[in-house]
Amino acid sequence: MKFAIALFAAPHQPASRRALRFAQATLAGGHEIVRLFFYQDGVHSASSNVVSPQDELDLPREWREFVTANGLDSVLCIAAALRRGVLNAEEAQRYARSAANLEAPWELSGLGQLHEAAQQADRLVCFGGQ
Amino acid sequence: MATLHILSHSPFTDSRLASCLRLLGAGDALLLTGDAVYALQPGTTNLQALQLMPASVALYALDEDLAARALQAPERAQVVDYPEFVELCTRYAKVNSWL
Repeated sequence: MKFAIALFAAPHQPASRRALRFAQATLAGGHEIVRLFFYQDGVHSASSNVVSPQDELDLPREWREFVTANGLDSVLCIAAALRRGVLNAEEAQRYARSAANLEAPWELSGLGQLHEAAQQADRLVCFGGQ
Repeated sequence: MATLHILSHSPFTDSRLASCLRLLGAGDALLLTGDAVYALQPGTTNLQALQLMPASVALYALDEDLAARALQAPERAQVVDYPEFVELCTRYAKVNSWL
């Protein structure tokens, strides 16, 4: 079955861990993930600048490794990312900001990508809350 | 069309659970995750409301969220892990998260 997974919560919130564990179980169960979509505070999960305490789960790193290892299509809402200071090199240059904190495998795109993923997938599962 | 409703907020801080209970269809199911598992706290009206749901509505709770809060699932609820969570999503035609 094809899944689209959307994350609305920041990496320090439990919903981010739940979304990651669910996504891992989806692939382990032989299903396909057509797209991961990061919206609202979920965009912070993709930031290269998050530093997690050594004795805590480093969710941004886990997300990055999971996405890279499985070659997943992972999109951040560009409007949500820009307003939260999550910029790739192209956007940093466009808006004359001194630093970029978004690298591969992440992509910035529009909310239309969430709509398209919902159409392509058999199930859209959204994660947010505590 | 049967829907799996996923809750993730404590029922003691907002009315998502109450709204969800009003909207449930006969063959729908409820999955409690995160702070929503506090709805299973013994001796509360939230648990009472869940116990009063018709038998056709299945009730599930995520195991690690119960364990993290030292809660035991009552007989009415089935405890699921992540592989079973995925399986539940395939079993119901729609998945609705109460964000």
